[in-house]
Amino acid sequence: MRLPDRVTGSFLVVLGAAAAYGGWLLPPVPGQPVGPNVFPLVIGTGLALCGLAITFGIGSTFEETEEIIPIEGGDKKPPPGKLYGLRALLPPALLFLYVAVADRLGFIITAALIVYATATALGARWRLALPLAVLAPIGIHLIFSKLLRVPLPIGLLPMPW
Amino acid sequence: MLNTLMEAFALISTWEVIIALLAASVYGLVIGSLPGLSATMATALLVPVTFYLSPIAAIATIVAASTMAIFSGDIPGALLRIPGTPASAAYADEAYAMTRKGEAELALGAGVWFSAVGGIAGTLSLMILAPPLAEVALSFSTFEYFWLAFLGLMCATLVARSSPVKAIAAMFIGLLVACVGIENPGGVPRFTFGLTDLFGGIEPIPALVGVFAVAQVMRAMLTPEPPPIPKRKFGSILAGQWKLTRKYNVQMTRGNIVGIIIGVLPGAGADMAAWVSYAMSKRFSKEPEKFGTGHVEGLVEAGASNNASIASGWVPSLLFGIPGDTIAAIAIGVLYMKGLNPGPTLFTEKASSMYAIYLMFIIANLLMIPLGIIMIRLASHVLRAPRSSIMPVIMLCCAVGSFAIGNNMFGVVTVATFGIIGYVMEENGYPVAAMVLGIVMGTMVEQAFVTSLIKSDGSILPFFERPISAILAALAIGAVIWPVVLWLWLRLKRKSPAATPAG
Repeated sequence: MRLPDRVTGSFLVVLGAAAAYGGWLLPPVPGQPVGPNVFPLVIGTGLALCGLAITFGIGSTFEETEEIIPIEGGDKKPPPGKLYGLRALLPPALLFLYVAVADRLGFIITAALIVYATATALGARWRLALPLAVLAPIGIHLIFSKLLRVPLPIGLLPMPW
Repeated sequence: MLNTLMEAFALISTWEVIIALLAASVYGLVIGSLPGLSATMATALLVPVTFYLSPIAAIATIVAASTMAIFSGDIPGALLRIPGTPASAAYADEAYAMTRKGEAELALGAGVWFSAVGGIAGTLSLMILAPPLAEVALSFSTFEYFWLAFLGLMCATLVARSSPVKAIAAMFIGLLVACVGIENPGGVPRFTFGLTDLFGGIEPIPALVGVFAVAQVMRAMLTPEPPPIPKRKFGSILAGQWKLTRKYNVQMTRGNIVGIIIGVLPGAGADMAAWVSYAMSKRFSKEPEKFGTGHVEGLVEAGASNNASIASGWVPSLLFGIPGDTIAAIAIGVLYMKGLNPGPTLFTEKASSMYAIYLMFIIANLLMIPLGIIMIRLASHVLRAPRSSIMPVIMLCCAVGSFAIGNNMFGVVTVATFGIIGYVMEENGYPVAAMVLGIVMGTMVEQAFVTSLIKSDGSILPFFERPISAILAALAIGAVIWPVVLWLWLRLKRKSPAATPAG
């Protein structure tokens, strides 16, 4: 997901300009010279300026390329395909799924799905992923729902406690 | 004084606090020792749990977990050459070289011993520095607070190991996030896009959990699993540490002091302290050629330094609500939740709570020695747990924890969104620590800024009129100009050899 500085910089220019404009539109407090509009205006302008600087590559000389410590004895994997990078989006996608279905399916079932999917994506066999998907949600449910009294969604599978 | 101390003892000698302290210590040791799970992440995931604890117990968990995690990051660093937390990255090579020479006990022992010493030195600095600074801070007006906050934000961008422009941009993004909601000078809905969930603003804690935990799971999806640790038997861990203390007491003290100073600076935390101290140790060493071949000297100094920064990072947090590092940023969130709003009056009105914090730091650091030794002996078992069984549990904790903070699903949306934001930023060289600082300090910066502007009737002059505010302003402006000067100087230096060939 390494994007060129020109792309991220331009995005910041747009974001900054939008923030400044949005701040500009806010109604001032009657009888006061400054109100809720000043701060977004200042920040938006600053952000847009930074974005411009980044677009033109100012300050990039300071960047240290991160040293990747080679793991000794680790075998070289074949170079990943183009879609490999999209795997990173799985965790947030699962969290959005939780938001969407947890109320209907309940905590235990949704959590089991999340655990199974994450474990499998990280290379676990079903012999590890399946017991984990059963036990981890129950454990978390015990701690948060029973001990800390967080009202977790009940859904289809209520717990006996 | 003695009375407050007794009160503080009474506050922490309840079962709740003791159990919380012990449990958080074990938790911190385990999370810190697992590669890829940082001390900040350990602390962030703990916050939802602290919701349900008394204020002192809540702070106890934060103190214990962060202290332990910073030390236990040394364990996989020494045994596998993979730092458990970024704070151990500076000397992981050195420690691993020692393990290969058969000195694993000495390396790990130095880790636990000098971490404890550093932690206690940091706590002493907190005890000595904070009260007199609080006296000074009592006379601060919004102008001083504005400059202080400004200085804090600039510091965070200066110390980032990245392009300063990107760091400043990251900080602005954080401030922009803090703009959302109706908690602004006009009390109007700002950047809420008609969503009622955004009216209350974006909660810092779910945002932090997203940036530090979800983004880490995302990164794990693309990186290969670290190799399992070889089984080994350890000899005595603490043998020879006293000799090292005597031999390297100058290095140790220097490490402590550097750690304390870096901890106090906003935004710069244990990672930075370890890097600076390790470099310093090499620079001033009598035998620099031994560095990199398994020499304990750098370990002593950097280990003493990173733990010292943890406690001293609480100085600006407790006094001004300006976090000394990302862990302190989380601690500030907890302090606000528990009605211990940061500010100089904490030290006069809630003095016993402050003493309780000092005591907990000291207890946590003493506790680290026995618990740390047990952890080192168990490390080969704990580190055997495959990543694919830990990350799913982290995911569940993110989901449930962020839900628990407001008992609404919007927290989970925030976590997921900030996971993506944090991941993309980190990948592209935007330091997330600067953004986190912006999010945490945003409301305070705006309040100080707008109130000052209203007081001064739109004029700029009063910002510089009071003596302390003038000094702070000079420092802050210097912090802005410094990178520009540095940049120009580097440019000129690069051009000059071409312009004037050796003459």
